[in-house]
Amino acid sequence: MIAVDLAQNTLDGLMVGSSYALLAVGFTLIFGVMRRLNLAYGPTIMAGVYLGTASFISFDAPILVVLAIVIAGSAVVGLYVERLCFRPFGEAARTASMVASFALWMQLEEAATHLLPRHMNPFPALTTSPPIEIGPLLLRVDHLIMLAATLLMAVAVTYLLARMRLGLAIRAVIDQPRAAAIVGIRVERIMMLTFVLASAIGGIAGFLIAATDTQVTAMIGMWATTKGLVAMMLGGLGSVKGAIAGGLLLGVLEAHAQWFLGPQVRDMVAWGLLFVLLAFWPGGLMGTKALDRTMAVGRRV
Amino acid sequence: MDGYLITVLSNIGMISFVALSAYILLLSGQISFGQQAYFGIGAYTAGIATVMWQWPLAAALLLGAAVAAIAAGVVGLATLRLSGIYFAMATLAFAEIMRIAADLFVYRREIDGIETGPDGIEGFRDIRYFFANEVSPLQTCLIVYAVLIAVLAAFFLAERTRAGRFLRQVGEDPLLAEVQGIDVMRVRMAAALAAGAVAGLGGGLYAHLMTYVEPKSFDIMLGVHTLAYGLIGGLGTALGPIIGVLIDIGLLESTRIFHGYRMIVFGGLVALLLIVRPRGLLDEVAVNRIQQALRRGRHAGD
Repeated sequence: MIAVDLAQNTLDGLMVGSSYALLAVGFTLIFGVMRRLNLAYGPTIMAGVYLGTASFISFDAPILVVLAIVIAGSAVVGLYVERLCFRPFGEAARTASMVASFALWMQLEEAATHLLPRHMNPFPALTTSPPIEIGPLLLRVDHLIMLAATLLMAVAVTYLLARMRLGLAIRAVIDQPRAAAIVGIRVERIMMLTFVLASAIGGIAGFLIAATDTQVTAMIGMWATTKGLVAMMLGGLGSVKGAIAGGLLLGVLEAHAQWFLGPQVRDMVAWGLLFVLLAFWPGGLMGTKALDRTMAVGRRV
Repeated sequence: MDGYLITVLSNIGMISFVALSAYILLLSGQISFGQQAYFGIGAYTAGIATVMWQWPLAAALLLGAAVAAIAAGVVGLATLRLSGIYFAMATLAFAEIMRIAADLFVYRREIDGIETGPDGIEGFRDIRYFFANEVSPLQTCLIVYAVLIAVLAAFFLAERTRAGRFLRQVGEDPLLAEVQGIDVMRVRMAAALAAGAVAGLGGGLYAHLMTYVEPKSFDIMLGVHTLAYGLIGGLGTALGPIIGVLIDIGLLESTRIFHGYRMIVFGGLVALLLIVRPRGLLDEVAVNRIQQALRRGRHAGD
């Protein structure tokens, strides 16, 4: 029955991986536009999810309202992070903005624990329907919704970037920020919008995961950061398609590793894969070469 | 001396080792999120040496530093060609792999009738060297600082040599350094080995001071914190990361007024500080000015 196990794990992995993919898309958009790592991204999502959870706990808000709050919360906190950590720093102070984002990571995590002091909090469920059975395979309906939502978001983001003027401006800023400024694109404004967009996308990812788990723990910030980072690196920095592929791949690999080797090895597999990839193929699945040329990042979106 | 103060001072001392470790790599132009791995390797190795193999402390500490350095070298071979964020992610990946491996590492033996040794996720208890040899908390604190001062002295001496200047050159502009004939890879590898050794040394001290280490202590948080110390305190001298540690642990303790809001205040303070001084407090410019002022002061009497 190994075939059934493999198939089931692959399906499960794809579905969980879709949330990783969304996280990675957000991360990679920010990195592509900012050329800097935003360590406060995971906590931004945590803040949004916590706000949603608080509204659920305090006012028994319906699930769509919770979703709206999570998205809005993540976007607003993302704006706060952008103003404090990225706007004031120019090209020369890249590491400073990364350290500042780390400082805000600390800040947001503590603020979150003030909002919801308990380690585990309930979250509304996506659906209470029983799982669908296709032959020997079991498909959870909420996982399917998550996968569908991710695909929808991926299509939407790709459409935005490929067909809309805002997307064109974003791609221009990712590719050649100085040239973009010369042709009249308001680079700072695009950076801010991308940041907010990426934070909102992350919020959706956080919402989906929380709604499938029907609970939110204090670890969600760290979770979002690590999974998003690994998925992003797997797919290649600055590449949206790569981020999606990386997220899905990570999900599938983790599912298999957990099934055959246990949950701890599962985490080790993700990191081990990343390490091996970086040692031998630094560019990731779809990125470009990463050997000592940081500017090679962000070539294609 | 008040026991609480001794504990705080000891903590500052030990964390300084990891901060210095990240600092060396920062000087060579690399950001590492993974120095906590070598801290942990040093801790476990030194602990195993004294507890299970009955080694004396000094030898155990040296072994811890050596094993950590070797690990850093192996990792360096795989990663030093990478730049910027790729290197940072690779170091983080290694550190997490090590941490999870420690969760699974069990090596138990019966020593003097008690079963001891690393026990996976439960950690490594009863590293009782100081207790067994009747060294008081104050004395252990002094030992930590003695080693730290020795390491700092080594740093200051190294800064004045050509090797020290090569290191900074490579960090500032690797392409230019390569063009000028400096073997960039060699310098980076030397920096990685030194950084691993310093972190490993600190780890060994940590294990014996705490008498108990667990894999959870060596997580991402430690790594990112210690990286931040150097960047906050300034990369001008080895005192920079120490200042960073003092600000964090010193301020953390002193702002008990903000009980429960420490990180909110501290996080905001750090972000604002960096806006004003992006290269840290004691950055190269500031250090230069201080050195010039001192020189002028010395010649003022002529």
